[in-house]
Amino acid sequence: MDNNKFVEVKNLRKVYDNGHEAIKNVSFSVKKGDLVCLLGPSGCGKTTILNILAGLLNPTSGEILFDGKSVVNVEPKDRHIGYVFQNYALYPHMTVLQNVMFPLIVGKNKKSKPEAQKIAEKYMELTQITELADQKPGNLSGGQQQRVAIARALVQEPKILLMDEPLSNLDARLRLKIREEIRSLVKSVGITTLFVTHDQEEALSIGDKIILFNDGVIQQDDLGENFYLEPNNYFVANFVGNPVIDNFKVTKTDDELQGTDFTIKLADLDESRFKRSIPNGEYLLSVRPENIVPASDGILNVEVDDVELIGRERILKFTHDDSQARSLISLEVPVNHGDQVNLKMRLDRVFLFTPDGERVY
Amino acid sequence: MKKIRLGVVFSYIILFIFAFITVFPFIYMILGGLMNFQETTSIPPTLIPHHFEWSNYAKVFARAPFGRYFFNTVLTATVTTVVSLFNSLLGAFAMVNLRFKGKGVIQMVMLSLLMVPGEAIIFTNYNTIAHLGLLNTYIGLVLPFLTSIFYMYYLQSYFGSISTTIYKAAMIDGASDWDYIWKILVPMSKSGLFTVGLLSFISGWNSFLWPLLVTNEDTMRLLNNGLSAFASDAGSETQLQLAAATLTVLPILILYFIFRKQIIRGVVRNDIKG
Repeated sequence: MDNNKFVEVKNLRKVYDNGHEAIKNVSFSVKKGDLVCLLGPSGCGKTTILNILAGLLNPTSGEILFDGKSVVNVEPKDRHIGYVFQNYALYPHMTVLQNVMFPLIVGKNKKSKPEAQKIAEKYMELTQITELADQKPGNLSGGQQQRVAIARALVQEPKILLMDEPLSNLDARLRLKIREEIRSLVKSVGITTLFVTHDQEEALSIGDKIILFNDGVIQQDDLGENFYLEPNNYFVANFVGNPVIDNFKVTKTDDELQGTDFTIKLADLDESRFKRSIPNGEYLLSVRPENIVPASDGILNVEVDDVELIGRERILKFTHDDSQARSLISLEVPVNHGDQVNLKMRLDRVFLFTPDGERVY
Repeated sequence: MKKIRLGVVFSYIILFIFAFITVFPFIYMILGGLMNFQETTSIPPTLIPHHFEWSNYAKVFARAPFGRYFFNTVLTATVTTVVSLFNSLLGAFAMVNLRFKGKGVIQMVMLSLLMVPGEAIIFTNYNTIAHLGLLNTYIGLVLPFLTSIFYMYYLQSYFGSISTTIYKAAMIDGASDWDYIWKILVPMSKSGLFTVGLLSFISGWNSFLWPLLVTNEDTMRLLNNGLSAFASDAGSETQLQLAAATLTVLPILILYFIFRKQIIRGVVRNDIKG
């Protein structure tokens, strides 16, 4: 038994009947007790993966191991999983208590009603829904329904908890609160959790690690901060980060990166950050907005189109190469709409990508 | 303002006329069943009997085994309702929730069978029943009506409106298909099932052509056939014919009165027949 590979997915592929290849050769593993976020834009295949893990969909090929054992041909009910659906999927004709008890009173391992009720009440207490026991789901708020769904998923004491965008139907404030609750709950229960979301902030805040998908392929499987500091490719750099990263077209010559209206000497770049030696030609230079800031020795002179206040900081927006770019500055720096500023890049923090997205610096 | 009011008055008049045309035969049937023979045939016709002849009903029961007809009708209508409801429930569940090979083809074939009117196959059905030696039996009476593609489609549209994640959740919760059907699907679809059951019971109650074909013994007759036979047996005794007709229609009328909300809701919700 390898606790570092409690959940292991190998070369998973899923082609739908209509020929759409939703998952293309995906492999990853999850450590026991970890909360892992599957992150990605809509249609990237993350929910498909969750459904395959749950046994609700069959993979076209590939292997899935739970605790070292293959579950590919195992029925959903025998996989020892809990599943929280995006729309919660509570049974509307049952009370909260009956909903939570349901997994315990059906199937092979059914328990007596009093025994089931005792276990259900324990989990209802854990999720703080004890007072709602006799309510029907239709009378509950989104947050309360969410808790019922989680209690129902945990009541079978599954080994793995799968959550499919569980927060997307909640309002912004509640989402913050519930996501903290979910994290502390799954950590206190110690259950291995896979959490699907399209919200990078959510993933960064609750995930022990994040697996970022796009087009059915894993783009990066890493700790949260590395998505920000060391993105694998152009997609990751652009998907993660708020405000989004600035991209500039540059042409590499023997000793310079030549952009529109600015030049960077190759000698000023950090030699050790190059992934490989690169030929001259077209590249994309990407800079996080906080790493391109006004300075007297700036290399890029722009006119500020707009200033947006976001609490402690301000975003300067400017147009370069016909596309909008941003600079994140402290609230105290006095810059106004229409000002001319010189921007300086922190060259040890910029990224360089080939036109097809590979990161080379 | 005045114009609108005139329109309202006019439409009420029209509505009243049509309502009267619809309801009058029923009222006359009930009243006629309580008249004596002269009153039912007099010209100008009598509307309100001078004396309520309740004895007409006793005579009806004495002349023909209406008790037996009642029993037969209740039995066959109940059996067809229960069994066809059960079959439609399972069929609709399978078509909505299960994945199997040839589902699309089966769906198409059944939909095309729905286009075949019942009368078109009534004689082949008769031959089948006759060859099986089931004429004049209860089985022969109910057998062709134990499944209904229409009811199945009706339930299918009903079940289709239940989110598929409910079924998935039940699967993960460890429920078998059987658990899902009885603990989740049926309680969640009560009104749809009720509508189907009621429609089935009413059509069973009103069935005429099929029982007329497969039964010729008095003991196997259903109410409607009994009534038509009685009408000729009773000859010119129109007051008895009307009393017998009242007996036949009354139970179903009572059902309508009790469940009219559900019937209307069921028909309005029905997006197949429209």
